Amino acid sequence: KIGFLWTRPGLPSPLRPICDLRVLNHFIQEARDAEVTMKSCREGCGLTEAVSVPQTTVNFDDWEKKNAMEQAQEVQTGLWLLQQALSLLRTSMTNSELNSHIDNVIRNLHSITAVLRSLNFQEYTPPASTVGPEGTWRVSTATELLQVHLNFLRGKVRLLLLDAQACQQEAS
Amino acid sequence: MTCERLVRLLALYLTLCAAAAAGDVRDFKRKASILLKEEPKNPKCFAETKKDFVCFWEEDEERAGSVDQYSFTYAYQKENGSTCALQVLRSAGGKRLFVCRLDRVQMFVQLDIRVYREGIQIHNRSLLIELLFLLDPPKNVTVSSTGRQGQLNVSWVAPSLKYMDDSMIYEVFYARADSHVGQVEAIQACSEMILRGLEASTKYRVQVRVNLDGITYDGFWSAWSDPVFVETLPAELDPLIVSLTFIVSFILVLLCLTMLLSHHRFLIKKLWPAVPTPDSKFQDLFTVYGGDFKEWLGQTSGSLWLTSPFILSEECPSPLEVLSELHLCPPLSSPPLPPKASKALTLVRNEDRVLSKGLLDGESVDRVDALQTNGWRSPLHDHWLLDRLREFQQHPVPRSQCSLLESQDTYITLSGNKRTEEEHREDTLDEVLPPGVFFASRKPPKSESHSDLGSVQQSSGSGNLSSQSSFEYPNNVWTAKDPGYTYMAVADSGVSMDYSPMSRADDIGKVVIYANDYKNEIPPHRRPFLVRQCPVHDDG
Repeated sequence: KIGFLWTRPGLPSPLRPICDLRVLNHFIQEARDAEVTMKSCREGCGLTEAVSVPQTTVNFDDWEKKNAMEQAQEVQTGLWLLQQALSLLRTSMTNSELNSHIDNVIRNLHSITAVLRSLNFQEYTPPASTVGPEGTWRVSTATELLQVHLNFLRGKVRLLLLDAQACQQEAS
Repeated sequence: MTCERLVRLLALYLTLCAAAAAGDVRDFKRKASILLKEEPKNPKCFAETKKDFVCFWEEDEERAGSVDQYSFTYAYQKENGSTCALQVLRSAGGKRLFVCRLDRVQMFVQLDIRVYREGIQIHNRSLLIELLFLLDPPKNVTVSSTGRQGQLNVSWVAPSLKYMDDSMIYEVFYARADSHVGQVEAIQACSEMILRGLEASTKYRVQVRVNLDGITYDGFWSAWSDPVFVETLPAELDPLIVSLTFIVSFILVLLCLTMLLSHHRFLIKKLWPAVPTPDSKFQDLFTVYGGDFKEWLGQTSGSLWLTSPFILSEECPSPLEVLSELHLCPPLSSPPLPPKASKALTLVRNEDRVLSKGLLDGESVDRVDALQTNGWRSPLHDHWLLDRLREFQQHPVPRSQCSLLESQDTYITLSGNKRTEEEHREDTLDEVLPPGVFFASRKPPKSESHSDLGSVQQSSGSGNLSSQSSFEYPNNVWTAKDPGYTYMAVADSGVSMDYSPMSRADDIGKVVIYANDYKNEIPPHRRPFLVRQCPVHDDG
């Protein structure tokens, strides 16, 4: 007689909340460095087509009126859009120095996504259509793209992390 | 009543509004002055809170137009433009300020501003509002002591801006109250700081200002808060320092004591030198005789004493027996001394100084012998002396007529050493002889005393010539006590002498010389003793 023991994959252990904003500050610094470098680029550093990027405008009164889920949805959508746009920019870049910056920025976006996951935010489900959803802008230059990327991190992403429920519970 | 009340309320409201406006204007002008120094671009814009944003520019009164001539337009990224209503304020130095307060504030998005004057663009600027904060100074700045020396605890209330607390940085300025030079300490995301290294019992001035860290938000340093004056605690003695000081002091004291004890003899000799005692010079004087000098003298020989280093070398003690005190008469005239005798006198005088012992050595004795052979010894002279003595004894001079014994010449009485009996007799006659005979002095008597050589000596056993001693005549008068005694007047200088006994005048020819120790007892008052010596006649 042969017996079989079936095993099932276990549930992933919950991530420890990352509430230290110094991590985000580091990402913001590297985004600023990439933007400054892009401003000085003259050749081999342009988008081949217009891309959709999240809106970065923050009105504190309007922001505070939204709930946590709406805020998280808005941030996660924006992060996804930026990853798509920066990946497209990476393929068209020929400048080696800028390529390293773009790679770094893309890597940081994935890290921010992981931070949001550690804060118990729902997994983002990308839209089926590639057309930009509401609340997006269209940019056609690399400079604009990196500027939006920077402002998005400094604004909405940071505000979301500051108000994260998991961080409030840990602080108390 | 109701209308009056309403009017009063309206007036109060307007007053408060005016006051608030005035306060606002005052605050605005204060910040505007900061931006005029810090911001080179125009228009100059700043955000005080998350919900307001102000832009302005400055023009000279003379060049500025009316406010209607200007237009201020602004547009956020990807939005339509808007126009801002301008206000005019007069500032110091004949300037005009054109001010625009935005109604709708949006951050993390680019803002484009255009200023036109009569359709002509005069200013153009693109900015991010979250990077142009000019906050109010921290409020409620409190400075207190921490309880430790040289420290102060500074705390304040941070500007009330949500989402921006962790982005604020502060600078704390502190200086002595009487000085403008101080130090600045920076701190981030904290509204409390401890100042260290301050001087004790010193009054300090503390001020605080705020700014943003520049990562997410940025701006200009706010104005300094109103100064707060606090005095630090007085200096305290650290127990550790006190104990270490005590231990070190104790160790130093021990070292000093050890050094002093190891050299105490040397220090005692230097600080308290021992009084020299004559114990070593006088054997058994203090140990056996208990300090009784007379008794000690009686037990010891004269030579021991005479050999004492305390005896002056010039004074040659000689054995001498004082038989009586003799009151001196007017100086007797004596035959002039023979030249040879004078020479001999001089020679002997010099020798006298050389002699330091009671006993002459052979050399001096030889000299004496030479002198004697030169004619000192004159039988005639001897008889003359005897005559004089007898005369004196038979007719003693009243005391009132007596004068001080004065002798300007030195008298010498010598006796040879190892003489034959005959010589011995002659010698005795010479020197002692006659014991009561005075030597005449060639010089007129003087009122002052002179030192004379005393005649001396001898000891029967040694036969040595006694040393010659010099005496000083105090100005006293003495009388003879017993004319039957052969005597010799001696001026006692207080030096103990060994005198030989003087034989009676009747027995001059049969003088037996013997030695007797004379114990010098200092009389109540000094009396002169006449030294009897034979006159020296020089037959030559």
